[in-house]
Amino acid sequence: MHARTLEAPATVGSSEVRELLKVERLTKKYGEHTAIADISFTVHEGEFVVLIGPSGAGKSTLLRSINRMIEPTSGHVWFDGMQVDALDKKGLRELRRKIGMIFQHYNLVDRLSVIENVLHGRLGYKSILTGSLGMYQAQEKERAMELITMLGLEEHTYKRADQLSGGQKQRVGIARALIQNPRLLLGDEPIASLDPKAAKTIMDYLKSIAHTLNISMIISLHQVQVALTYADRVLAVRQGRIVYDGLPRDLSLERVRDIYGADAGDLIIDTGDRHVD
Amino acid sequence: MSLDKSESIQNIVTQSGRLAASGRSIKVKPLSKSRLTMRITMIALAALTIYGFFVFDYKNISPWQGTIDMLTNFKTMFLSPHLAHLTFWEGAYAIVVTLAMAVLTTLISAFLAFFLALFAAQNLSNHTVARSIQAVAAFIRSIPTVLWVLIFAISAGLGSVAAIVGMSFHSISYLTKAYAESFEEMDQGLIEALRATGAHWWHIVFQAVLPMSLTYLISWTFMRFEINFGVSVAMGAAAGAGGIGFDMFMASAFYHDLREVGAITYYILVVAFLLEMLSLRMKSAVRGKMI
Ligand SMILES: Nc1ncnc2c1ncn2[C@@H]1O[C@H](COP(=O)(O)OP(=O)(O)O)[C@@H](O)[C@H]1O
Ligand SMILES: [Mg+2]
Repeated sequence: MHARTLEAPATVGSSEVRELLKVERLTKKYGEHTAIADISFTVHEGEFVVLIGPSGAGKSTLLRSINRMIEPTSGHVWFDGMQVDALDKKGLRELRRKIGMIFQHYNLVDRLSVIENVLHGRLGYKSILTGSLGMYQAQEKERAMELITMLGLEEHTYKRADQLSGGQKQRVGIARALIQNPRLLLGDEPIASLDPKAAKTIMDYLKSIAHTLNISMIISLHQVQVALTYADRVLAVRQGRIVYDGLPRDLSLERVRDIYGADAGDLIIDTGDRHVD
Repeated sequence: MSLDKSESIQNIVTQSGRLAASGRSIKVKPLSKSRLTMRITMIALAALTIYGFFVFDYKNISPWQGTIDMLTNFKTMFLSPHLAHLTFWEGAYAIVVTLAMAVLTTLISAFLAFFLALFAAQNLSNHTVARSIQAVAAFIRSIPTVLWVLIFAISAGLGSVAAIVGMSFHSISYLTKAYAESFEEMDQGLIEALRATGAHWWHIVFQAVLPMSLTYLISWTFMRFEINFGVSVAMGAAAGAGGIGFDMFMASAFYHDLREVGAITYYILVVAFLLEMLSLRMKSAVRGKMI
């Protein structure tokens, strides 16, 4: 709601929209090896940021440093008024429930039903006992049903997660993230294991969620064409550094070649249809 | 491209055809150092066994006569069983006592081992803690159950309590290892996904680790229960823990009643058979539901 009123003057410059995430000089080293180096950027409310870069560039490391699934070596992260790098254990839990996360391999509990998996998104709000026993409040269950319906999964509500197709599993993953009431959603190659049709469905859902629920997104992708279609903004990393931060329309083929370096040859095929992996 | 491929496949086909025709054999397992050691050990053991038969002190009993005597004893035992020193229902009660010891041991062990295994699993616990628990459990496992029971029998006195505590010791370390290995099978991504929602460690244990490993836990527990039943029989005799094992000990060592030993063996066989059936049933039921 709030953001919508802010969006009108945003035509002057996007700096008018509230900042949600600010990353400053973030670095992660594994021994001598630097996975990400000196990364700085900001993300605004409701913004759809796509992260691209060749394999091993540091996309996963960057995403996980934001919610501290990986502990950065140095640098700062501010999220919604919290200084992420200074949080204690309790603060970290609070942070994580405000940030949803989806994955390439969905990471659902295969042996539980769709609705149970969705409700797992509420665990960050639960006490040890109620959460362990899987006791959820009526309104949490109602919200789960709403999200399941919204994502077109209502006929699968009580099916076991392993009976679903990849695209359906990813929608369960999205529902599990959304029930957290997040302000930001991180996606680590969420469509990399999907066929083009399912991938498009997922990207369409993410785009509409970003706009209707005003949830910011940082999604890593390895299909440049998809990135250009959906992104409000593209962040490109190469060898742990940001090499492009700007609008998708300003990203020329030359820049793309630059970003992917020697891998650019494969990339031309990649920007068209999905490649088989 | 595709032409290339089919050509190369044809090549392989004809080549393998030629190989088969020439009858050249390919060694799949090369004769490595460890395999060689293994082979030498086996040959040495076989030689020793045969040599042993020639140098045993048979005390004027020929092996032939001994075998016949043994078979005669077996015949008395199993073809004419009877109960002399206990009634049918006393026998049934004794086997219930033995079963109860096994059940109790298994329940106590399963419960404690579950929590120990959580801290012994590399993916759920601190590396040092996991290593330490694994090491202690391995040490306990290396000492036979019977010895543990005797150790507790000395400190707690003979009887069923010592037997149960002693048996539990070994059971716990066995199940801890088995459970921890089941937990370690878990997909790391799943744990990560739940941690990323802000879930507590215990939430992850009960909402993801437990449902994903339940089938394994049940199989391992039941397997241990069957072991514990056998051990309970032995402990009845060795530690005076009561139950059917004690009756069997009395029948053989005290009354020298072979026919009663036979009858008691039948009791144990029937129960072991029922357990096996139950185990099979349970496994297929769990499979049907979980997999
Ligand atoms: N746990 C780790 N230990 C050591 N090096 C790692 C680890 N995780 C990632 N790296 C290294 O960090 C770099 C960035 O990896 P990653 O973030 O997974 O890249 P991407 O997701 O873009 O493919 C790679 O060079 C990778 O080898
Ligand atoms: Mg990655």
